[in-house]
Amino acid sequence: MTRSIIDPITRIEGHLRVEMEVENGVVSDAWVSGGCFRGMELVVQDRTPEDAAQIVQRICGVCPVSHTHASSIAAEKAYGITISNNARIVRNLIEGAQFLHSHILWFYNLCALDYVNPLNALTADVADTYELAQTLGTSMNTDFGQLKEKLAKFAANGQLSIFSGNWFECDGGTGYKMTPEADLICTAHYLEALKMQAKASEIAALLGGKMPHVMTVLPGGTSFVPTEAKLDDLWAMANEIYDWVSTTMIPDTLAIASFYPEVANYGKGCGRYIAWGVFEGPDWPYGDDYTEQMINRYLPMAVLDEQLNVSNVQESLITEYMGHSWYEGDSTYQSPYFVTDPDFTEYNVEDRYTWVKCPAYDGKPMEAGGLSRVFAAYKRGVPFVKEQVDALLVKLGGKPGQVELLQNTLGRTAARQVETLYIAGLMKDWTLELMEAIKGGDSEYFRQPLTTTGEGTGFWEAPRGALYHAEKVTNRNVDGYQIIIPSTWNLAPMNADGVHGPMEQALIGAPVEDIEMPIHALRTVHSYDPCTACAVHITEPKTGKEFKTVTSPWGVK
Amino acid sequence: MVDQATTTDAFSVLESRGVSRRSFMKLCAGIAATAGLSQLAIPRIAEALEQSVIGATSGDLYPVIWIEGASCTGCTESFAQIDTPDVATVVLDVISLNYSETLSAAAGWSVEEAKAQTIEAGNYVLVYEGAVLEAWNGNALRVAGETGNEALAHAAASANAVMAVGSCAVNGGWCAAYPNPSKAMGVQMFLEKEGIDTPVINIPGCPVNPEWMMQVLVDVVMLKDPSLVKLNDFNEPSSLFDQTIHDNCPRRGHFENGEFVYEFGSEEEALGYCLYPVGCRGPQTKAMCPITRWNNRRSWCVEAGSPCIGCCEANPNDPGDNWVQVNTPFYNRFRDLRIGEFKFQPEPVAWVLTGIVAAALVVHGFGMKKTGRMDGGAPFEPIRKWDKEHPERSIGTYADPVTGGPVISEELTEENTHHPSAPADVMVANYEQEAGGEK
Repeated sequence: MTRSIIDPITRIEGHLRVEMEVENGVVSDAWVSGGCFRGMELVVQDRTPEDAAQIVQRICGVCPVSHTHASSIAAEKAYGITISNNARIVRNLIEGAQFLHSHILWFYNLCALDYVNPLNALTADVADTYELAQTLGTSMNTDFGQLKEKLAKFAANGQLSIFSGNWFECDGGTGYKMTPEADLICTAHYLEALKMQAKASEIAALLGGKMPHVMTVLPGGTSFVPTEAKLDDLWAMANEIYDWVSTTMIPDTLAIASFYPEVANYGKGCGRYIAWGVFEGPDWPYGDDYTEQMINRYLPMAVLDEQLNVSNVQESLITEYMGHSWYEGDSTYQSPYFVTDPDFTEYNVEDRYTWVKCPAYDGKPMEAGGLSRVFAAYKRGVPFVKEQVDALLVKLGGKPGQVELLQNTLGRTAARQVETLYIAGLMKDWTLELMEAIKGGDSEYFRQPLTTTGEGTGFWEAPRGALYHAEKVTNRNVDGYQIIIPSTWNLAPMNADGVHGPMEQALIGAPVEDIEMPIHALRTVHSYDPCTACAVHITEPKTGKEFKTVTSPWGVK
Repeated sequence: MVDQATTTDAFSVLESRGVSRRSFMKLCAGIAATAGLSQLAIPRIAEALEQSVIGATSGDLYPVIWIEGASCTGCTESFAQIDTPDVATVVLDVISLNYSETLSAAAGWSVEEAKAQTIEAGNYVLVYEGAVLEAWNGNALRVAGETGNEALAHAAASANAVMAVGSCAVNGGWCAAYPNPSKAMGVQMFLEKEGIDTPVINIPGCPVNPEWMMQVLVDVVMLKDPSLVKLNDFNEPSSLFDQTIHDNCPRRGHFENGEFVYEFGSEEEALGYCLYPVGCRGPQTKAMCPITRWNNRRSWCVEAGSPCIGCCEANPNDPGDNWVQVNTPFYNRFRDLRIGEFKFQPEPVAWVLTGIVAAALVVHGFGMKKTGRMDGGAPFEPIRKWDKEHPERSIGTYADPVTGGPVISEELTEENTHHPSAPADVMVANYEQEAGGEK
């Protein structure tokens, strides 16, 4: 029995440590620790909801749009308003651009280096590489010969830059299994992806001023008013990204999967999933029926139990427990507001070991993220997702309908590619929809509040999963703010009953050949696309007392 | 300890995993042959791959360590958006990014080892992103078993320069906004406290604009001369932070014309009018956003319809003077003023104060009337006292209420009274005469 520790986990956002007990080459126990406290809810307290929407996106530089979006939805619910149809489309487009940016960056630039060894590409045969690319049906935009020369020159210089200290020789040199030709293709796409994720961000900048931290999503709608020139640019960029994603990402995923079938043997998390839904649906607006609104989103809301049965979210079932985190006390609090005073003690896996709190739905840990959203969309019958997932299942050796087969590290990694393709297509649809709406004379983008005192909840999704913002507003002043972030769900520590959080459960059972470089554990961690930058935060203790209620004042809207 | 490297000898590490030195050299020969390099290059490639386990220390690329402190990763993200040169070219052809929590292939002890060896070798630049947190003795941020502050102090001490990127690294940014729960501050202030005198270059912004960062990297790294970066009092590059956004704003013409946007998404916005009334901080925020723009020059805040919210405002010597505190509420013309827990807008206060003063004057007037001090009006001098005493230098003109012509008092005559129309040389002559007379 021995300990294996990865600290820091790289190629994620923020700071994360994983400690594992290894017994007979398999992880038998695991503790995930998120390492940075900043105190977002305290900072937005006593500012306007508009300020809050701008400030909260600074919680995460990878998914800022989702935070400002969820915050704006919460403020709009408090203000008693629904945004205009054009504002809905513009905001969907900005959000979609961020999802594309995030997924492309995550798959190629953060995750792929667990499977792809660019240094191995030095021995590739260029002619064979073209042939392989053709066989795989993946794109060939890069000159593979030229890339190989570039890599050789880079290696000959003797400095490995971002490849310094890599794990390419892990597991006695057997950890990385792709052929040099496949490595050369994926290295080419790694470098192309760096440009495509920037291209996706350019769409967010076109509509939002800049990215990260877009400027035009705000309570009441959007401050962006499209011009013909901007719509023209939007159409061109949406097409460019769609073409690249559709010819590259899914073929590459299948190619990588064919070298690493064993990755499907481990990494199942807690087996329960949440998705709050993202991209507001086409039959806008949905009146006061929040549940209807969430179900009609392009990627719909769902809570899925162990048998993947679907139910609707009930806000009052969301709780958070502090007993294993660096906060005072060990109480369990119920949404929307609860008291959490930060209090660092020491790193001790037997007691408190993380800045991340432990959220639960109906008393149980839940997994959030792309896999959860794809399950929700599949079970709610979204045609594109159903079709693509069934096709993927067949290619991975399953049968149509066996979605439960995706509950592992490989499935979690592959599900996001289906989602990426879906969103890339929607971006083109939304652009046309916006053009039609403008041609039809629709020119409303922003609405003023009907009231400046109220409460609201923003159920939404970040690329990493279910995102929840709740705020209480008094005379246009934030008087209580609460955020529950997707990675807080996924990176949760043990709950009061000693049940591990989703990622901890996923790590347990993963094979470890090399305790210094536990590559399967790293693959599992990256399959979640963790983001600790935003996972750690607290609520407002000063006003906390008055919110120390155990029932939600609003229930589910 | 199992979580730390016990050796830096790559071969022993490789051999322990079943890779023999002979097969390793053979692999390298294969690489060199297919790469079309001479056999002489083989030891160098072997060395490079060998050092794939440890930090590389020599070569053509400038070593860079990029530490994320209390950050949102937004500045790394922003850096990853650059296209001239694109980020792949930067990390493969310009710098050797030996440590980056977002981009490094390695993880855990091996990436920490790469950092340690880079520090030991020296001659590198440290990029620091995010705030420095002092709460719980720095335990608000923990990486690899130490606090974030220990990691910063260690890496900064041997660096050629520290680039503090983003407003958080400059002075704590939003993390330092009231009530500053994690006791955030900037790199410059932290290093001063620690007695580390490595030069700091501050590049604020939320996030940092990658073009600005690249400009500094080019000066420091490619031209190998940090002194090319001319800094202002805040240690910011002067070329980037000495002009206001308003100075270069394309909507400036509408400001001059008095054409404004009063509501988001309105007809005026469609016409591209000035965003001043909805709170634009362009007039007081110093940055080159309208020139460099964002995301490969695609757009920037004001062009997309959002007022500037002043995210580049960061005083490195005062975390309290951060952009959130200085500029909220963003969409109001004036910032909130705070007295303890109580906050208020200066504009209503100004109106209230004006009202109080006006009311006091009215009351004062009634008092004057009542006491009889105002009968017949105030006794104004017919001719100012100074003019009376210096008739030859007086430039005052006095209208006679009866004749409408100039008032001629007993002391003032046509000859020695200077009207504005009097020739300048006469006035100068008179003055010199007077000055001479006084001596």
